[in-house]
Amino acid sequence: MTFHDAAGREFPPFSTDLCIKCNVCTTVCPVARVTDDFPGPKYVGPQAQRFRGPGAGSDAPDRTVDLCSGCGICTRACPAGVLIAETNNRARAAIVDERGSILRNRIISNTDLIARFGVPLAPLANFGLRNRMARWMGEKLLGVHRRGPLTTFARRTFTSWWKRRGGATTLPETPDPSRTIVYFHGCAVNAFEPDLGRDAVEILERNGFTVIVPRQECCGLPFISNGLYPQARAKARRNLSSLAAFARAGYRIVGTSTSCTHALKAEYREMLDLSDADASAVADATWDICELLLDLHDRGELDTGFAPMVEPLPYHPPCQLKSHGIGTPAMDLFALVPGLRAVDSDHDCCGAAGTYGLKVERWQIAQDVGAPLFDAVRSSGAARAACDSETCRWQIEQSSGVPTVHPITILAESYRRADAGVDEPWHRIV
Amino acid sequence: MPRADVVVIGAGLSGLSCAAELAERGARVHLVAKGMATTHWTHGGLDVAAPGGARTMRDGIRMLAGTDHHPYRMLATNADAAVTAHLARMAAAGLEHVGSLDDAFTGIPTALGSLRPASIMPVAQSAALAPWGGDGLLLVGFGRFRDAWAIYAARNLAHALWPGGPRDIRGVDVELPGLDRLHNIAPQILARHFEDPGWRGRALSAIAAALPAGAWRIGMPAVLGLDGHAEVHADVERRLGHRVFEMASLPPSVPGMRLFDALRRRILRGGRIQIGFDVVQVERSGRRVVAIHTEAAARTLRIAGDAFVLATGGIAGAGIRARHDGTLDERVFGLPVAAPPRERWFSDDPLQPHPLEAGGIEVGEDLAPGELANVRVIGSALAGMHYLDQRCGDGVALASAHRAAHSLAARERAA
Repeated sequence: MTFHDAAGREFPPFSTDLCIKCNVCTTVCPVARVTDDFPGPKYVGPQAQRFRGPGAGSDAPDRTVDLCSGCGICTRACPAGVLIAETNNRARAAIVDERGSILRNRIISNTDLIARFGVPLAPLANFGLRNRMARWMGEKLLGVHRRGPLTTFARRTFTSWWKRRGGATTLPETPDPSRTIVYFHGCAVNAFEPDLGRDAVEILERNGFTVIVPRQECCGLPFISNGLYPQARAKARRNLSSLAAFARAGYRIVGTSTSCTHALKAEYREMLDLSDADASAVADATWDICELLLDLHDRGELDTGFAPMVEPLPYHPPCQLKSHGIGTPAMDLFALVPGLRAVDSDHDCCGAAGTYGLKVERWQIAQDVGAPLFDAVRSSGAARAACDSETCRWQIEQSSGVPTVHPITILAESYRRADAGVDEPWHRIV
Repeated sequence: MPRADVVVIGAGLSGLSCAAELAERGARVHLVAKGMATTHWTHGGLDVAAPGGARTMRDGIRMLAGTDHHPYRMLATNADAAVTAHLARMAAAGLEHVGSLDDAFTGIPTALGSLRPASIMPVAQSAALAPWGGDGLLLVGFGRFRDAWAIYAARNLAHALWPGGPRDIRGVDVELPGLDRLHNIAPQILARHFEDPGWRGRALSAIAAALPAGAWRIGMPAVLGLDGHAEVHADVERRLGHRVFEMASLPPSVPGMRLFDALRRRILRGGRIQIGFDVVQVERSGRRVVAIHTEAAARTLRIAGDAFVLATGGIAGAGIRARHDGTLDERVFGLPVAAPPRERWFSDDPLQPHPLEAGGIEVGEDLAPGELANVRVIGSALAGMHYLDQRCGDGVALASAHRAAHSLAARERAA
């Protein structure tokens, strides 16, 4: 939501004036629940915001706003329409702008740069990621917690696979926006989880779409979460200039990370103030992949030839997905797969919140936030769990010990089993 | 696109109860709300009807049902079943209550040190109900917890007209252990501390050390646990050796949080809840609503339903908005609002019921507003009540939720 002043300008920061001090936000904050150091969203948000702004100088209120993980639950709980999490994020950016950022935050936010070095050196880099001594050094030298949820680099990026496959990267000569999807893979699929990207392509093609993978970079969300707005804007502008032509031509842009797609839909405009026509066109054209598949199903156009997947499946809807305001489309899709017993975790947050759970000074908070979720996943007896955002998956997998996949990984497997003509219902070992 | 039998709009007591009842009856329910609502601002007891002069809530319902335009005119017959169903839902979630519509009102101390008439309340508030005999009342506050001031409340109560009250009223502040690092102590933070047996033991030792000798009943801020509340309360009474009752302090109300969670979990067994998104568009076909759209990060989310329940509250709950030009908007369906004209919105006596409080939506016997056949209006969006003065907000919420759920279930069966 945005507000407008008399001249019609949007002014999200001042939504804080709508605060009625009811404290509902404080009751739902997962960080305030586990640490005494964070006074809660109301205090660092609408309360402290009154003392920020021009002239506040270095007396601007406390740094505890940096303990906000940015999950956004407070904004959704607020009955008065205050953009609490957004206010806090902007406050953090103002602090970073004024006092600078530490090296660790500038490095872990720069996922494209990490990928550029990590993928070519994957065997070595992955050895380091798995090596306790190397992780210990990473903690001491850099401040990345030695048990922080990190995955390993792919041997080959998604885009190099796409190039070798001869996949389209530009606007087709004969446009067919209704049967073509622009895939936004994001940095995680490209460098860490290319199999997920291949599953997405497979599912989209199976449902009759041609897939285009245009030039793109990290969505910039890690920079936004770390208050590094100039760097985030640079990423956003390059993505917008690449994607806007597709959006204007009526193509849908589909992502497999609810974090990236939320950045394209909302954060570019609401946090980075990129409110030009390109940003609006891209936002309106962007879909989460499960949102798109469910929309196809509503129109009777989804291939529902799913083979049975007889297994219990704890599903965790990530915070970023909840901020989309699209419900939980993955749960509706799971209901189409015979035998699949998906259960919504009904937990607020896994704690990871992008890079938050990696930081040595935040790791314990992130673990405590997610602890009830990890317990629930473990005690479900399921062989795997599902979640739509990558850092949440890594956090849940590492802390619960239960492998955690994207919902469409399950759907792609189900389709493949149907193709293989497996008649017997498949029982996973539980 | 979600599709539901019934879409409930609003997450206060009426919306949550209606959705719970529909889910219990097997309907596919989808509850949407712009934010979390008034449950977190309530004292946790049940205000069914307590207009001046009433001796019991049943009296109060009868009196209000005889008032022009009051929702109890048609809801009086639903009150019994609605309250019974609500208390059963609470008990199933481990939140036992005492009292009934026929129990005489008893004055219960508030955190400000006044007495409010009550007859149905959670067990943890009920120690103040029994005749005081020779017992004294000791109010315990917690140092640095700024939402309840025991000594102040005790002084106020000492001046209150309280026939048959305690032999002595005192207030004491106790420093609870390990809280000195907190910038601010919110009630739910204390409630979570009380759930930790180790911390609770240390806290209770500190409280026990501050107790004077003699027979006391102890009033405390309502922070005795969330999920494990019943166990925490029993343990506190056992270890202090006195009966202990909770008094809701400033929002957020921990008893209200327990109530919200109990109903939320009940709904999630068969229904869905989406909180955080306003309704921005309504699709109609003649006199029927076909779908609503909620705001979303891009596009809107269309939620289709056979029926819709409006539980968005009145002017205080922001379901109805007053404009500067004196018009009033019902914010979801644009229903006409019955209210006094703008020149009567202001009065010289700020302590009198506000004329606008009685503003709201006028409905028929089935709670449908005139022009929309498959919509039901419940809770404080209904016209005709002064729910603060008449203390009837919870009762009207529950009775209207119950009536709407029944009327929609009957439609389902007929269809």
